[in-house]
Amino acid sequence: MNAPSSVIRRQVLDRVYAATRNAAGSVEQTVLPRDYIRRGALSAESRIELMIHRLREYDAEVTECAPEALPAVIVEQLKKSGRSIFAAPAGLPAEWLAPGFAWKVDRNLTTREIEEADGVVTACFCGVADSGTIVLHHTAAEGRRVLSLLPDWHLCILRASQVVETLPEYFSRCDQLPALVTRLVTWISGPSATADIEMTRIKGVHGPRFLHVILVRDQGAE
Amino acid sequence: MSQPAYHPVLDPAVAPPFPDAALPVLRNPQLRKNVAHAIDVIQTKRGRLVEEKADWQALRTAAAAIRTQALENLGAYLEEFEARCTAAGGVVHWAADAEGARRIILELLREENASEVIKIKTMTAAEIQLNPHLEAAGVKVFETDLAEIILQLGGDEPSHIVVPALHVNRSQVREIFARRMGIENLSDDPQALTAAARSYLRQKFLSVPTAIGGANFLIAETGSVAVVESEGNGRMCLTLPRTLITLAGIEKVLPRYQDLEVMLQVLARSATGERMNPYTSLWTGVTPGDGPQRFHIVLLDNGRSQILARQTERQTLRCIRCAACMNACPVYRQTGGHAYGSIYPGPIGAILTPQLMQMHHAQSLPYASSLCGACYEVCPVKINIPEVLIELRSQVTDQERKQLRRIFDPMYLGLRVANLLFSRAWLFHAAQRLGRMALGWFTGKDGWIHSLPGAGEKWTQTRDLRGMPKQTFHAWWAARRNAGGKEAR
Ligand code: SF4
Repeated sequence: MNAPSSVIRRQVLDRVYAATRNAAGSVEQTVLPRDYIRRGALSAESRIELMIHRLREYDAEVTECAPEALPAVIVEQLKKSGRSIFAAPAGLPAEWLAPGFAWKVDRNLTTREIEEADGVVTACFCGVADSGTIVLHHTAAEGRRVLSLLPDWHLCILRASQVVETLPEYFSRCDQLPALVTRLVTWISGPSATADIEMTRIKGVHGPRFLHVILVRDQGAE
Repeated sequence: MSQPAYHPVLDPAVAPPFPDAALPVLRNPQLRKNVAHAIDVIQTKRGRLVEEKADWQALRTAAAAIRTQALENLGAYLEEFEARCTAAGGVVHWAADAEGARRIILELLREENASEVIKIKTMTAAEIQLNPHLEAAGVKVFETDLAEIILQLGGDEPSHIVVPALHVNRSQVREIFARRMGIENLSDDPQALTAAARSYLRQKFLSVPTAIGGANFLIAETGSVAVVESEGNGRMCLTLPRTLITLAGIEKVLPRYQDLEVMLQVLARSATGERMNPYTSLWTGVTPGDGPQRFHIVLLDNGRSQILARQTERQTLRCIRCAACMNACPVYRQTGGHAYGSIYPGPIGAILTPQLMQMHHAQSLPYASSLCGACYEVCPVKINIPEVLIELRSQVTDQERKQLRRIFDPMYLGLRVANLLFSRAWLFHAAQRLGRMALGWFTGKDGWIHSLPGAGEKWTQTRDLRGMPKQTFHAWWAARRNAGGKEAR
């Protein structure tokens, strides 16, 4: 006879509480040592340069532009990609939907429809310079998770004001957000890759094989 | 040639002891070359990135403290995770052991009418031997991690927890893929091999409605689950299917979302020598319109609560499965992973496997170490592996001492005799005199012993032994004191 699930739950929890000898539900509050670097020390300009450098190091392509030039630069990049069908999150700013391309705006697109797109354009929440990481919270302009996954080419718009130097700084920025915003998070560091065969890094397995970032210089040098 | 000449056994209950299992590997130069090459590459990359991180030691200290706090309050954090995950639309299941977990998963698959599943690499599923049980129940499993595909199609077993096929080289992969995927003219260029895997799996990702995966971290504060990966196969499995089943050990909990700021920094650097792995995904229960609309998580005990209860061994559960310890281990470098007879090889395997087996199996593993401490030095959560190894060795010894069949075991016999001799000075001196006399017989004119009979032969087979000096230390000391005493007067 198999024990009912509630019995097993109780059994496991009882064993755990017995092992740690503390009362059910209580947490001992200890102050943790957090002496690692939380805040970066770079100037705004060096921070952006580091972000670009790290993105490129992991095979992402980066283009810089001024805020007013963004729509034009998007057109330019889409053209350069040689692709024609692009998926877009429902909340992508209208001026980013460059004319002259086939846009599939995500109003309940099916997986098949997304799979047919050659590329995708999204916004993002944050860039972490230290590791060249882009963070998506999958809000309206960042798109559902599947949207930035199936198309082979991902163009991500990152603003200089969104770039932090260290990973802890990203988490500090999250403190000011309502908790629900971080219920879905994807950290992207370069295009998908594997080193499973003889530790040779190969770009592009199942995720997008090409990651392209437009870095919008919306901040003057400090 | 790609089929391993022997088939490794990774079930600790039936695997041969480490020294026996290591032999076929030590006799296989190709395999040793593959392992050494892969390890050298990872080690070099890791070394460079750790060097670059000015606050590496502070990060390790924080990571160890976070994991310790999580374990000390595990019950409360598990309940918090359960409540948050459930509130977000996930279904939490509890499993006391491997069999219980398999039963829950099979039950869920039956409800889904699933005849196929796509799978993200998870050590915990391997621990409970999920695949063979699924196959036996008529469910076809598609591994989606490149290394796991290589092993699954090649009928091979994992030899590393992060790079499971590191013992297979490109020409072996080419042969497996060409044969099993039916591709002629496949080159052995890793780029081409990777592309072959991509197209092999694409349709599966788009059509199989059920996925099984593991978890790197469970966040108590938010009820979220995090998966760290490189290829995007994880994202596919976490996003496309209708139903997602996650299997996670109960020790995987982190108290807060913010704790990831430490764990993510140490994990990728330790595991693959990258500043950050290409993809990390975090989700919370079910999100309408985005990803699987049914989410089940099975929390597995399977011996963990017993490890938790033991003071020295508890630290074993801090492990974040980064594999840095095996990459640093001089023993692993020689033997590769299969010799450990467990899906958890290397130093962490040497302490985790026997404990998961409740010390009934894998008793040779705590001895599969030179206790050099390299594993402790690299471990991002500061598990003192040598300390646990020694504790486990003492448990193995206590066990063996009580076994009747070991009464005449030469080692235990010898130790009993030694125990007697060391406890009485006169006996000790007598034995010493006797021993010196006996060894004198075998000492050559050059002052060396070149061969000994009986058990001693094992030593002299491969090396010479210096003959005994003319005087024992005791005698020398007594003589010196007598002489010195006179001088002082
Ligand atoms: S014991 Fe430490 S080094 Fe080894 S896998 Fe676990 S966390 Fe990594």
